[in-house]
Amino acid sequence: MTSQADDLRERLAPASVDEAAAMVRERAESGATFAFAGGGTELALGYEPERVDALLETTRLDRVVEYAPSDMVVSVEAGMTLAALQTTLAPQRQRLALDPALPERATIGGLLATNAFGPLRTRYGTLRDLIVGITIVRADGTLARGGGKVVKNVAGFDLPKLMVGSLGSLGLIVRATFRLHPMPERERWYEAGGLTAEGVRALCRSLIARRLEPAAVFARLEPGGSHYALAVLFEGFETGVDAQGASWLESANAAGAQIVDAGPEGVRIAAGAAHPRGPVRIRISVPPAAFVETHRDAVLPLGDCFEAECVAYPTTGTFLLGGFVRDGAGSRAVATIAAARAACEALGGSLVVADMDAALRGSVDPYGTLPQSFPIMRRLKERFDPGRRFNRGRFLGRL
Amino acid sequence: MTVTTASPGIERELSDIVGAANCIVDPGELRTYECDGLTGTRVRPRVVVLPATTEETAAVVRVARRYGLPIVPRGAGTGLSGGALPVAGCIVIGLSRMKRILAIDLENQRMRVQPGVINLDVSRAIAADGYYYAPDPSSQSICSIGGNIAENSGGAHCLKYGFTVNHVVGATIVTAEGEIVELGSAGADPLGYDLMAVLVGSEGLVGIVTEAVVRILRTPEATRTFFATFPSTDEAGACVSGIVAAGIVPAAVEMMDRLAIEAIVKATGVDWPLDVGAALLIDVDGTAAEADHTATRAVEIAQLSGALEVRTPRDARERQLMWKGRKSAFAAVGRISPNYYVQDGVIPRSEIGPVLREIAAAGARAGLRVANVFHAGDGNLHPLVLFDARVEGEEHAAEQVAGEILKICVRHGGSITGEHGVGADKAAYMGEIFNEADLETMNFVRCAFDPAVAFNPGKVFPTPRLCGDRPGTYVAHETEIAGTAGRG
Ligand SMILES: Cc1cc2nc3c(=O)[nH]c(=O)nc-3n(C[C@H](O)[C@H](O)[C@H](O)COP(=O)(O)OP(=O)(O)OC[C@H]3O[C@@H](n4cnc5c(N)ncnc54)[C@H](O)[C@@H]3O)c2cc1C
Repeated sequence: MTSQADDLRERLAPASVDEAAAMVRERAESGATFAFAGGGTELALGYEPERVDALLETTRLDRVVEYAPSDMVVSVEAGMTLAALQTTLAPQRQRLALDPALPERATIGGLLATNAFGPLRTRYGTLRDLIVGITIVRADGTLARGGGKVVKNVAGFDLPKLMVGSLGSLGLIVRATFRLHPMPERERWYEAGGLTAEGVRALCRSLIARRLEPAAVFARLEPGGSHYALAVLFEGFETGVDAQGASWLESANAAGAQIVDAGPEGVRIAAGAAHPRGPVRIRISVPPAAFVETHRDAVLPLGDCFEAECVAYPTTGTFLLGGFVRDGAGSRAVATIAAARAACEALGGSLVVADMDAALRGSVDPYGTLPQSFPIMRRLKERFDPGRRFNRGRFLGRL
Repeated sequence: MTVTTASPGIERELSDIVGAANCIVDPGELRTYECDGLTGTRVRPRVVVLPATTEETAAVVRVARRYGLPIVPRGAGTGLSGGALPVAGCIVIGLSRMKRILAIDLENQRMRVQPGVINLDVSRAIAADGYYYAPDPSSQSICSIGGNIAENSGGAHCLKYGFTVNHVVGATIVTAEGEIVELGSAGADPLGYDLMAVLVGSEGLVGIVTEAVVRILRTPEATRTFFATFPSTDEAGACVSGIVAAGIVPAAVEMMDRLAIEAIVKATGVDWPLDVGAALLIDVDGTAAEADHTATRAVEIAQLSGALEVRTPRDARERQLMWKGRKSAFAAVGRISPNYYVQDGVIPRSEIGPVLREIAAAGARAGLRVANVFHAGDGNLHPLVLFDARVEGEEHAAEQVAGEILKICVRHGGSITGEHGVGADKAAYMGEIFNEADLETMNFVRCAFDPAVAFNPGKVFPTPRLCGDRPGTYVAHETEIAGTAGRG
């Protein structure tokens, strides 16, 4: 973060979308470069920006623009926190079906830019599946919109989805519109412990075989690093949830899992448990059927080097690790990450180091092998931000 | 120099790639390709090529580019917005021969298919294993996956399960340079920009899909269907809102108004009552317990909303008949009117009642009838404007009414298209919902993929747009350099 601090000439905190656009526009001539911050929860993702003249904070853009409960659609400004949004929706028994880390701090714009997610992606997908409209400030300071405020719409290119995960490198997200989901009548978590990786995979297959429809599934690596506890959330109307729970317990029992709790409240797993934190954070994405191989070839070796929590979303093929380098393992860390990444890439997936400590930064690439389509991505950046003013050098391929 | 038929050089080069039988230049045969499902506008392409592989497609694109021909991709030609409508002097690349299912991966719930595979055949290939492909356009027995991707097609069951964009996770495309590029990844989170999100719904403007990886779902344990009739579309609309407000996300909610019901009954012989103002066909699905519960609740809500009658099918066959009625609606309307214009607009779901009344009034002012059969759950209207082309001026009046309908949708906060796409038909309406800056930004996307605007020129964007760094129409420029073709 040193270079940022060295260059930084101003901090900007616009109070309106128009003011944000004006701030970018006014600095276009000088070619000033920008970084953006919402709640500041994911600022380490990607490469360190090459140069930051102005840091624009979105936290004052925190209004609900329009909320139509009967249409289950909401438009908000990008600086609003997820928690504040959920509070707005709760009286109507509606919600944005997204459960990422730190909802009290994370802003809508930041969540979109980093494509943040939580266990609910099992059923509801990620923000790309929830967003229906967007307004951005372009690098030339122009406001531009894509999508709209209805849930179904195929007019023009899908700018809203393109912005998801773009890390502020194509435009500053200032407003977004989402489709909402009803708050379930009943939610019930179940947890089964003592499962091997093979056991997790087998249970997930039985969920599918039994045609159960969990809203969330995640597996937490238990202390010791060889077994998982599998948490499953059923939600919906009471009768349906209870029937699903009973069916799931049956298959978990048959598989010899230790059922931790099946009381009426279920296991209310703290939101934090699904989001490992720490100075080093790793995000693995592989085909779900490669759960066992990924555990063996990436998670176990990384566990040797890092004192880390590991949470996997086995039905989507996602593994999240968070922790720090073990004492004395520093010299091996770089090679271990490289080997784990090679294993994931060989499975057709990827390994992203979302955050790392100073010792690793510089010797570990956050992303790994560039996709074959990267030249198209570069051309997108060139069209949207020819002067590379927005988050210069931070995104994949140092765009 | 002006050449009006394909010069032998192009023809020879193309047929060297795909074989003479798959390189069509005969004017009679070309007629088939003059339009898509929007049959009112026709343009004869210069040549139609039907490649069999990704490599052949790439080679064809390179030849077309060398000669400066605009390229129009085409699937099954069922599109309703003129997306596959040829442009003058173009080469149409038809993907209909590429219809193999390449791999079925039940473990990862994915399937790799060629673009010409018919939508329904994807589900058929895995039905015995208890899986299906969710997006189900009413045209699913005739439209192709490539066309579905280009249009981001929807269907009745997209209310709960999402649209094509939520179900296509990877693709092989041929770019405007004739390169073969893989988009998406085997993992759930590909690195970099979400190019799949750009590709799906891009209407043939950013690349030709030659392979697609689709997500397949487990067939739900139970589906409960019911059919309810109402005095008018107002009560039916209120019922839809009521169901949603109760926290139910039905798999499908389809509405038909009086005229649509009449047409369906005439065409299919279903025993639906004719003396009603509107009907809803509703599916709820999920686990058996959940589906039973939500069906019971939804029926209660229908009754509270003023339903005249609620019918539940006794068996799978009856259920199929109900859905057959719905899915044959467009064709059925052909029985009650010599011609009709299919409109596709979106409104907020809560506005269904008032908007349908405005639409009826617009039709009445022009002396035309409008039938409505549509995806009510997501507010996606399909007003069918009935006319008789033999009557002087009626076709024009119908087009006017269809245009007015779009403006009504926009006034109510909606969109000019929910699933049929902008294509050639609605390009002029893009300005109703997007301003100059919005369109310019979308053009950034196109230019990143196809700076020469070789793919499907004249579609989607209201006015011809170029890409900054190459002033002048690149396509025309290349043609002149090649010295083999001109614009006449
Ligand atoms: C009776 C009827 C009912 C319909 N119902 C629905 C419905 O419920 N929902 C719905 O969404 N649509 C519906 N449609 C519209 C139409 O079927 C869809 O738009 C369909 O996806 C078009 O597929 P196609 O293969 O026929 O594509 P085409 O019409 O051949 O092409 C459509 C567009 O896709 C492009 N394209 C085609 N293949 C490729 C490729 N491989 N790579 C790149 N671009 C390509 C073309 O250039 C064009 O822009 C209906 C049509 C009819 C006639």
